[in-house]
Amino acid sequence: MSSSKSNKIVKLESSDNKTFEVEEAVAVQSETLKNMVDDGCANDTIPLPNVNGKILEMVLGWCKKHVDETVTGDELNKYEADFLDLDQADLYGLLMAANFLNVKGLLDRVLQRVADMIKGKKPEEIRRIFNIKNDFTPEEEEEIRLENAWAFD
Amino acid sequence: MGAAVSGLGEGANGSGMGPSLGDIPESCVACVFMYLTPPQICNLARLNRAFRGAASSDSVWESKLPPNFQDLLDLLPAERYQNLSKKDIFALLCRPVPFDHGNKEAWLDRVTGRVCMAISARGMAITGIDDRRYWNWIPTEESRFNSVAYLQQIWWFEVDGVVKFPFPADTYTLSFRLHLGRFSKRLGRRVCNFEHTHGWDIKPVRFEFSNSDGQQASCEFFLDDTERDDINGNHKRGCWIDYKVGEFVVSGSEPVTEVRFSMKQIDCTHSKGGLCVDSLFIIPSDLKKLKRRGVLK
Repeated sequence: MSSSKSNKIVKLESSDNKTFEVEEAVAVQSETLKNMVDDGCANDTIPLPNVNGKILEMVLGWCKKHVDETVTGDELNKYEADFLDLDQADLYGLLMAANFLNVKGLLDRVLQRVADMIKGKKPEEIRRIFNIKNDFTPEEEEEIRLENAWAFD
Repeated sequence: MGAAVSGLGEGANGSGMGPSLGDIPESCVACVFMYLTPPQICNLARLNRAFRGAASSDSVWESKLPPNFQDLLDLLPAERYQNLSKKDIFALLCRPVPFDHGNKEAWLDRVTGRVCMAISARGMAITGIDDRRYWNWIPTEESRFNSVAYLQQIWWFEVDGVVKFPFPADTYTLSFRLHLGRFSKRLGRRVCNFEHTHGWDIKPVRFEFSNSDGQQASCEFFLDDTERDDINGNHKRGCWIDYKVGEFVVSGSEPVTEVRFSMKQIDCTHSKGGLCVDSLFIIPSDLKKLKRRGVLK
């Protein structure tokens, strides 16, 4: 945290050319952006080609909520729980964005959510639910099954 | 982040719905795997190539191993673990690693990666163990050490032991595994014989342990029911029972933890007998609770 409370504004541009302006305190919730600010690279608009406008707005909303001192602990918990009630495409987009921008609290939550969605399900089921292509041959898949059998003895 | 970041427009799976789970690069999957257990990770390894790669990632498995896993590897000959990936090391350490001439073994719980230990009766000092009027060794599959000490009859019942091991930080439960009565197989069925079982209902057995850093506990249990009720049956006979001695907390693998433990019934006004002593277990307390609730195998 800087020694003086900066009122500096950080400008961000999403992959679909939407611009967002946020206070520095909000932006530096992202380790990636914080590094840029610290390195003096945040004076112009920062392009984020990896993150679309919808997702960026969500992430910035999260960051804003977490620097808002008027929000109570309970309100924050509820906000975080509701935040992750997303459809698959948004969840995926959020995962990539939180990873790239390195917003720690958000990333933890999203990773946990994705983990919860896939644990305990057979790969066949996950492929069906999430429409994932099996890029293995049956022989390859059998080989992988055997080399991982030790975990289920 | 992985190099294979696809655009956020169309997913590689061509679902038309936008990108999905199948498009997550390997490095990102590895992050998700930090939130899953080893069996869950191994289950997902065959999902697709990104998942397979992440399921073999050293960073993932390093987070599942105890910080001092090298101490466990040191119990094995070096050629067993040279050039192994962290995943292979985890798999290797999930099987019991014997030490102290095979009288003790340590292993990682495959779900949580926490260190567990069992100490055979052969690794303990049992008063009168060499006198066949008192004690005999029975070979059996019911013990992970393949034999248990059977007490026919004695006045001075004392079993002592000590273990010095770099347990990683955790809270551990110490318990003795005992069986009242002698068991055998007759025509494929398990049969119990209580001809020598006596004396355990007169006075309790005292169980104790103490630690190198001053932690200790003791408790007493009657190993046999004092009122034998023929209608309800005696639940202490004919089955293996874990007698919990107590719990101790380890804050780190250094300094090395040393635990002394014992069970005694040395009141010589009465004899006791008809008991099998298998082993002592030192298991993380959380694990013991989960197993008891049937959550973990």
